[in-house]
Amino acid sequence: MKSRALWTIYWLVVAATFAGAIVLVFNYTPNESTMGLIQKVFYFHLPIAICTFLCCFCNFVGSIGYLINRKRKWDDFAAAGAAVSVLLCTGVLLTGMLWARGAWGVWWTWSPRLTFSFMLWLLYVVYVLVRASIESSQKRAIVGAVYGLVAFLDVPLVYLSARLLPDIHPASIGLAPSMKLTLGLCFIPIVLATIGLVYANFRVNVARRQLAEANEQLNLQTETAAGGAL
Amino acid sequence: MTGTLSQIFTLTAKDLRIEGRTRQSLALVLVLGVLVISVLGLGLGSQPAIATMGTPAILWVAYLFSGVLCFEKTMAIERHDGALAGLLLAPIDRGVIFASKLISNLILMLGVATVITFVGILFFNFDLSPAPGGFVLIIVISMIGFAAVGTLFAAMVSSTRLQGGMLAMVLFPIILPLVIASTQQMTAMFRDGVAPGGAGLAILGAFDAVFVVVSWLVFELVLEP
Repeated sequence: MKSRALWTIYWLVVAATFAGAIVLVFNYTPNESTMGLIQKVFYFHLPIAICTFLCCFCNFVGSIGYLINRKRKWDDFAAAGAAVSVLLCTGVLLTGMLWARGAWGVWWTWSPRLTFSFMLWLLYVVYVLVRASIESSQKRAIVGAVYGLVAFLDVPLVYLSARLLPDIHPASIGLAPSMKLTLGLCFIPIVLATIGLVYANFRVNVARRQLAEANEQLNLQTETAAGGAL
Repeated sequence: MTGTLSQIFTLTAKDLRIEGRTRQSLALVLVLGVLVISVLGLGLGSQPAIATMGTPAILWVAYLFSGVLCFEKTMAIERHDGALAGLLLAPIDRGVIFASKLISNLILMLGVATVITFVGILFFNFDLSPAPGGFVLIIVISMIGFAAVGTLFAAMVSSTRLQGGMLAMVLFPIILPLVIASTQQMTAMFRDGVAPGGAGLAILGAFDAVFVVVSWLVFELVLEP
């Protein structure tokens, strides 16, 4: 009960900081001189992108952990990281596309960073889909761990290879002090939400696995009991 | 050391001998590659713009699909008559099994790539003369990384008895850096006349190094009879 109250408070804090961030973005921060209103998407775009990497790293840690000591909890953690990273990466792509439409007039172009985000998204969507298509939980864990390890090592190579493509992305943006402050404060709700989502997902995975194991145990017991009766 | 090398040699020779006698996988893989090229050829026609810019990409699509089939087939050999169980019981390091599978896959894929490339050149009037050496270099380096990841995932898909199509699904997103780096290098070589090198070649080399080592280390974890 107590943990449930804490959990509710946690998400209320996330919601409050998020609301605060939105107010700051629209009321406190000035409009960017060339891109105008659409640049505001940047305050969420960058923190989400960074949190995506954090989730990919969680997946990597979980995968390595499972390969080393074969404890299912590591696998549950890896799966949680991948699921949240897909969600966040979708957010990066959507905010990025909005921004691209506003700034360059097109929804999509094969510029390095867009390509990179898209390839990152593909990598982890495949992780989630492949896991979902394996029935045996032990096989799912080992396939997930191997793929997760290879996928994370692939990320820097994907990034470097995408940089070979011709670029129109801003290399670095000069930000006014008020913009920097807003950007920094926008990190708070997004990082908190990411941690909360990974944790919630992890707990669900653990509970789901324990339920499946308990079911198996029960089936086994009924079978032996039936065998004894005969 | 010589023991390990001779083990690798024996296992590779075994794979290639089986292939030489049955000629099952190679024929299938080659026909698939040629089919992919002809489908794209029929769809795109042979406009001059495609010849220089598009051919590397078209060739890559054919390499990718034939590669998936090839890796699946070489691993499927071990499924017959409990061959894999025998191999795992043999007093050899699992890394040796990986190395031999990698080498036989690489040899087969280089053969397949040669045929597919010739067909591609023929169908699309692709002019290889500006940089034939560079082309071969890029393809050989790319194939090493492709075969390394392919060998690992083929073993994984085969050991866990995943349904068909999964190998392509897990392999393609991982292999994308190779595709980008090598097609960019080809564009630079054939359109701009730049010699291969720089960041593109470094990425291809890094991909090979990282994934040959990682696949070799992880291979024994996924191998199950």
